[in-house]
Amino acid sequence: MEARRASRTVSDPKVRHVGFFTPDPNPHPGRTPLASDAPVSNALSPVMIPPPRQPSDRTAAVPVPETGQRRQTGADQVPVGSYNPSESLLSSSPLPSSPSSRVGLVDGEFSEESGGWLRRSESEKYASSLPDTMVERAPENSASAAPRLESKKSVEVTGKGGKAVLEEQNEVQSSSKPLKEKTTKAERRALQEAQRAAKASGKAEGNKSAAVSQGAASVKPVKQPSQKKDGPPVSVSVVSFDKKGGDRPPEKERKKDVPAPRMQFDDKSRVQKAKKHAVVKQTEARNRVELFRHLPQYEHGTQLPDLESKFFQLDPVHPAIYKVGLQYLAGDISGGNARCIAMLQAFKEAIEDYSTPQEKTLARDLTAKISSYVSFFIECRPLSISMGNAIRFLKTHKVIVRHAITKIRDGDVLLTYGSSCVVEMILLYAHEMGKQFRVVVVDSRPKLEGQALLRRLVAKGLSCAYSHINALSYIMHEVTKVFLGAASVLSNGTVYSRVGTASVAMVANAFHVPVLICCEAYKFHERVQLDSICSNELGDPDAIAKVPGRTDVNYLNNWANKENLQLLNLMYDATPADYISMIVTDYGMIPPTSVPVIVREYRRDHVFL
Amino acid sequence: MFIRVCAYQSWDTTSISLTAGCDLFMRYVTRTSALEYEDFNSARSRLIERAEKFGEISSKARRIIAMLSQDSIFYGCTILVHGFSIVVLEVLKTAAQNKKLFRVFCTEGRPDRTGLRLSNELAKLDVPVKLLIDSAVAYTMDEVDMVFVGADGVVESGGIINMMGTFQIALVAHSMNKPVYVAAESYKFARLYPLDQKDMAPALRPIDFGVPIPSKVEVERSARIYTPPQYLTLLFTDLGVLTPSVVSDELIQLYLWS
Repeated sequence: MEARRASRTVSDPKVRHVGFFTPDPNPHPGRTPLASDAPVSNALSPVMIPPPRQPSDRTAAVPVPETGQRRQTGADQVPVGSYNPSESLLSSSPLPSSPSSRVGLVDGEFSEESGGWLRRSESEKYASSLPDTMVERAPENSASAAPRLESKKSVEVTGKGGKAVLEEQNEVQSSSKPLKEKTTKAERRALQEAQRAAKASGKAEGNKSAAVSQGAASVKPVKQPSQKKDGPPVSVSVVSFDKKGGDRPPEKERKKDVPAPRMQFDDKSRVQKAKKHAVVKQTEARNRVELFRHLPQYEHGTQLPDLESKFFQLDPVHPAIYKVGLQYLAGDISGGNARCIAMLQAFKEAIEDYSTPQEKTLARDLTAKISSYVSFFIECRPLSISMGNAIRFLKTHKVIVRHAITKIRDGDVLLTYGSSCVVEMILLYAHEMGKQFRVVVVDSRPKLEGQALLRRLVAKGLSCAYSHINALSYIMHEVTKVFLGAASVLSNGTVYSRVGTASVAMVANAFHVPVLICCEAYKFHERVQLDSICSNELGDPDAIAKVPGRTDVNYLNNWANKENLQLLNLMYDATPADYISMIVTDYGMIPPTSVPVIVREYRRDHVFL
Repeated sequence: MFIRVCAYQSWDTTSISLTAGCDLFMRYVTRTSALEYEDFNSARSRLIERAEKFGEISSKARRIIAMLSQDSIFYGCTILVHGFSIVVLEVLKTAAQNKKLFRVFCTEGRPDRTGLRLSNELAKLDVPVKLLIDSAVAYTMDEVDMVFVGADGVVESGGIINMMGTFQIALVAHSMNKPVYVAAESYKFARLYPLDQKDMAPALRPIDFGVPIPSKVEVERSARIYTPPQYLTLLFTDLGVLTPSVVSDELIQLYLWS
């Protein structure tokens, strides 16, 4: 690893070049000799074992997306890179038609899946840059292999890409597609070209890396500052989703009537690409069965020592994650449930230890990290379906936030009740986008959850007002919109949420203020509830008998002794659908009457998955 | 083809039905296994075939809507119509051809003069027509049995975006318990969800008052208004007779399944 790092003359992959750039004048000397290896490996007969993967090649080369990893890669790398359209396009050598057309379709599909981050036309260009052309383009590698910097878009794309890859269903909102495509097309093309160029040169360097695979799991855009020092940063591959192919066909086919883009392990060129992007170095199994050659086949057992030795280089990967990854690799954990549980526990530890770096925002940074962890897991062993679903649940917030902020205009006065994490994310994100609005936080005893939300909002610079629920009708006249969270949404459109929410919604309705409920789709339930009584939760009655900090208010100190006094501390209440204007979910904005449709349509898919 | 569709959309960015229609058109046309074919020509001809089919579907839609709404037009009823919608015109034409006896109140529809055009057409069909100025709607609402309007767009909440004046009429009808029927093709279903009037893209047009207006006087020039779903009774579409809450179901199935 060290030797390789020293010899690398690629400009730091983490640096993002925007605009035209000149190729690095000093191509790595080792590249030329290695270039000859590439054709050799390609010339292997199908039965022979391709050379071991060289994950460390990655840095120089921005990974050109594999079929299987294409989705992730493309999405994640889209925002970064320089734009050299003429160079890449003109120098592409003619490619065999079938892979490129397949690739084109795959990318097209990918673009649909990832919510329109890529356009079909662009993906066609992707296709043209298969590695066969690399030898000619050796010098162009100063390109930013580094996919992402702290740009909002990139992180978002990362998360989105990961989400697209992992989701078993197409949750992409079509309405958002056209907008996204237009805004980032040029950027994306720039990135793709750069990546292609870099990859080409990287590949020329050769597939052998004696030593090491890259350190940390693929992507860590936010880690760039620290990783700048590591030569062969993983960066580029935000992805390493290269082995996913086998799991995903049903989902892909449903999304688009196009043959599923799988990681075709029998396709030499793609295998080469995949190898370059992996963190975990894996040797191919010998004498593979012809019929199953399209699936990843590796000797897992050999990886453990390698990974263990790399442990100290993998600082961006949380130790818990790393441990679970090793367990997957070694086969210690097997079984869908066990793997899923282990993964979630590892995520839990990682998230507990997580703290947002200064210049980043929680939503995007955390999502990016989780994507990288996920890709690390996938390298160790392909995801199970249960894991995929679980991961998707972690990432739904991004979509909700995107939809909800379209409803926030400059000059709005937004009211929220209690503390909902989704609403908080929406408000913070809208503030970051530069929208000018005020927030009124309404709170109530005994939990006083609004205070924590208020503290966080004020810390980020939003102008807020705070009130107790008794003053609700007093302040409602100046409010323009109400954003509420929900514990669950029932089939008749009733929103089951923290006690007090119903009152807020009803007063808002009386003042003709629209009420928006922000709720993830997994909280939808088939049950129907007509009032708050038949199903609820009781809290501690002592909490309402006492007022913290006011020992003089002790009239209820002996309330338990009074026979005809009962204290009721309800936790939840049910808001009828008539008071709700709209529910914002990860499937888009829907009226409360459409909840059963979502439950019916999308739960069905969950069951199949 | 995608480019051409985008060209249509950008030609009139304020037209919601055009946008919605184009979206659905793209979806319809590309949602086919034709794209699997490696042979470009066969894929292309298949796409063209789908596109033409889409055009046929749209014109058939009007006939379906006209058929479905015949049941709601009973003998001797009075229908209030606002705006000039060819779908509504088709409905009334079909009723006239079926020899039903009914009369129509047309609002003038300033400044587009839609009422004048519509009353012209209806007079040709020998349907008794009465022309009202826009402010006379509440005055005549007692005599009216139902209100029929078209739609520029049907939004996700089940509300409609239509010519200026529709909301007022719907409000008056609702408060006097008269049904408001909307006749709209399904390609007008759009993925919008306005919370209030300002939540939509503005569509301004010049208004000629007939006399010069002093420059200090502002003129409200918006051409469109959003009518919330609670004031609408039924929507007659080529997908059937729907209540406003079903629009979202249809949209979910149309858009989120591709």
